[in-house]
Amino acid sequence: VSLSKTLNPLIYKLVDKCIGSRIHIVMKTDKEIVGTLLGFDDFVNMVLEDVTEFEITPEGRRITKLDQILLNGNNITMVCKYCACLVSLYSRYRLTGVS
Amino acid sequence: KRYSKDKEKKKKESIFDLSKYIDKPIRVKFQGGREASGVLKGFDPLLNLVLDGTIEYMRDPDDQLKLTEDTRQLGLVVCRGTSVVLICPQDGMEAIPNPFIQQQDG
Repeated sequence: VSLSKTLNPLIYKLVDKCIGSRIHIVMKTDKEIVGTLLGFDDFVNMVLEDVTEFEITPEGRRITKLDQILLNGNNITMVCKYCACLVSLYSRYRLTGVS
Repeated sequence: KRYSKDKEKKKKESIFDLSKYIDKPIRVKFQGGREASGVLKGFDPLLNLVLDGTIEYMRDPDDQLKLTEDTRQLGLVVCRGTSVVLICPQDGMEAIPNPFIQQQDG
């Protein structure tokens, strides 16, 4: 049962199912976040754990943050489950050995 | 005194019904220049979308306005309505040569 006033219940349920899993968040800008979803709110601000942040720069850059972050939902464009697409993400950023 | 009557809540009416696109492939453009396409599985009045079999079209790293052949598979995706700027049927668009480029006199 959705408690959300702003989010459609079906969409709320879909994101809710991801709680506890690793997800991949694509921002409006050239930044992507991979982390374990702990929770979210009506505005899809998200609390994530064990986070890796990817940013496109000419060299390719990766920042790994542990513990928890609160991700501002303002700039989130897409949310999907951690999956095979990340293989292309790593090659795009020329990274190796990322969990 | 009329103020309270005029302030009666209006239900948010959509100017466009996305239900006719359910289970059809659509193309979505986002703020920031990202583009993706996928089969529309669900939506809400705020334009949050659920797309299945999503493909993201990547832009040229040197020229952020140019699309490349490069794509990546994202699978089942929730797209945030706050970031959607355009939705169209996948077969409803085609790339054309730039109509704004001035032809140089030979």
